[in-house]
Amino acid sequence: MDIFLQQLANGLTIGSMFALVALGYTMVYGVMRLINFAHGDMVAASAFVGLTIYTQVMGQAATLIAVITIFLLSAACMACVGIILERVAYRPLREAPRLSAVVSALGASLVIQNGIMLIWGPRMRIFPELIPQVYWDFGGVVISLIQVIILALSLVLMVALYLFVEKTRIGAAIRASSIDQDAARLMGINVNSIIALIFIIGSSLGAVGGLFIGLYYRGITFNMGWQYGLYAFIAAILGGIGNIPGAMLGGMLLGLFKAFIEGYVSSTWADAFTFILLILILIVRPTGILGERVAEKV
Amino acid sequence: MKEMQKFGYPIFFAVMAVLPHLLDDRWQAVAITFLIFTVVALSQDIILGKCGMFNMGQALFFGMGAYTTAILNNEFGWSIIATIPLAILIPAIFGALLAGPIVHLRGDYLLVVTIGFNIVFVQVLQNNLGGVTGGPNGIFGLDSLSFLGFDLMSQVAVYYFAFIVLLLTLWLMRNLAGSKTGRAMHYLREDQLAAESIGINTRIYKIFAFSIGAGIAGLAGTVFATQYSAVSPEAFEFIQSVLFFSIVLIGGSSVPGILLGVFVMFVLPEIFREFATWRYLIFGFAMIAAMILRPRGIVPATFGKIPKFLIKGGSHVE
Repeated sequence: MDIFLQQLANGLTIGSMFALVALGYTMVYGVMRLINFAHGDMVAASAFVGLTIYTQVMGQAATLIAVITIFLLSAACMACVGIILERVAYRPLREAPRLSAVVSALGASLVIQNGIMLIWGPRMRIFPELIPQVYWDFGGVVISLIQVIILALSLVLMVALYLFVEKTRIGAAIRASSIDQDAARLMGINVNSIIALIFIIGSSLGAVGGLFIGLYYRGITFNMGWQYGLYAFIAAILGGIGNIPGAMLGGMLLGLFKAFIEGYVSSTWADAFTFILLILILIVRPTGILGERVAEKV
Repeated sequence: MKEMQKFGYPIFFAVMAVLPHLLDDRWQAVAITFLIFTVVALSQDIILGKCGMFNMGQALFFGMGAYTTAILNNEFGWSIIATIPLAILIPAIFGALLAGPIVHLRGDYLLVVTIGFNIVFVQVLQNNLGGVTGGPNGIFGLDSLSFLGFDLMSQVAVYYFAFIVLLLTLWLMRNLAGSKTGRAMHYLREDQLAAESIGINTRIYKIFAFSIGAGIAGLAGTVFATQYSAVSPEAFEFIQSVLFFSIVLIGGSSVPGILLGVFVMFVLPEIFREFATWRYLIFGFAMIAAMILRPRGIVPATFGKIPKFLIKGGSHVE
């Protein structure tokens, strides 16, 4: 039972990180029908940016204000990168065949990943200890302060995003653009600004996810983006890609699944089991758990 | 363009046929790599370019062929040549089996599932399933090439082995393009619903394309295992699949385009070795630029002999 509860706590922690990153994939896919392969690398870049802000700007202080500043600055940096990415690599290809945009996304991913390597070096860097190492022991189940903060902050961000998309006028514009861009344009929605907004939101959430990855795992490498990005992307697909609550649900489920596989089966097979789960779910429900069945347009 | 094809191919083949005698050891190895990766990229082209299925796991079949050769040679003592039929058949069968349940998936889902297959495959190799794959180190110390009692251990022999495989692949693809199957695949790529409504069994052709592509990649794997007389999991990581995927699309799914793509991705880095750390950064920018400037690829493929006046804005309609 101890292992079960422990892995439940760990699973919820990594699940909320997956969910944050998955939101970036799913929102971009929802409006542009494009897998933004560079998103995972932006998540990795955020951890490195956070590291640099901590050492260069904050003078290695880990006060509450410093930590909040690091989060805000990293998110702002990544939002800028996201906008540039969309302008340079995706906007010129909006009318092109879909595969061209996929290749462009892969190219952007290589650029960001190797940009990180050239700036921060190829070796693993240790992320600073921004949050004190406090642990609580509940009869054998150990929960750290970091885990609580990650889970709480992720939930707050996700609820905020959900309310924003469902209850505000801009949110309605986002939903309209993802259903039909042309019709949305006819209704007076500026689809270009909506896409830019989506990149801002997605990239900042991904940036927070990247800082969480740094805080939780400590070791950050230039090529970790692919790994976390892929997991987050699987989470988005599990929930039904393009569906915002689906990405949250998919992230949590995937985190729990991975934690239980690592706890009960073996960590060397975790990737294989994750993909087998994905393949099985896609065979049974080709559009994911919450995804709607869309009839093919003729 | 026509003129270039008429004269370009014979010149290209003639140059390739004498090439190993003009190069030193290191460049011979680069030339062999070029031939092998061209074959893999062409096999990927059957699935992705000709049939329009988003396959991002081609390194899986490439690796399966290489490992089939390595295991049969190392564990069971078969000669390299004798392993060829199984190195084609096993990936081809797996291609059909894996494709069976997933070919109905929409483009992007198929892409992720094939990435998944590739990652599961590498993990199986690394965890040494069945105790025959050699774990993370792989298998090394394979026999050299031998045929009818002749020991062909020189690099030049491996070069010609790779060259013959490339010629066979090109011949097969040319025949495929002109056949009923090739036409069916083309229609299926252009418009699946329309293809179904004129009576093409899209499912069968999709599985067939996967199977053929996997078999050719498997054969390329045999050559790869022979060249290094070793195999290891990292040569078949899914980042390799990403490269093959990009080469086909940047090249434009045509033979000259793919040759150019393989040359740029695998030969140019050998020439500009001092820029090794910048390699992927430059590739990344080049991929974005190539797609923006030529969204249908550097040398877009044309299909069949459709009169020019019937074509509106290129032969491919997305």
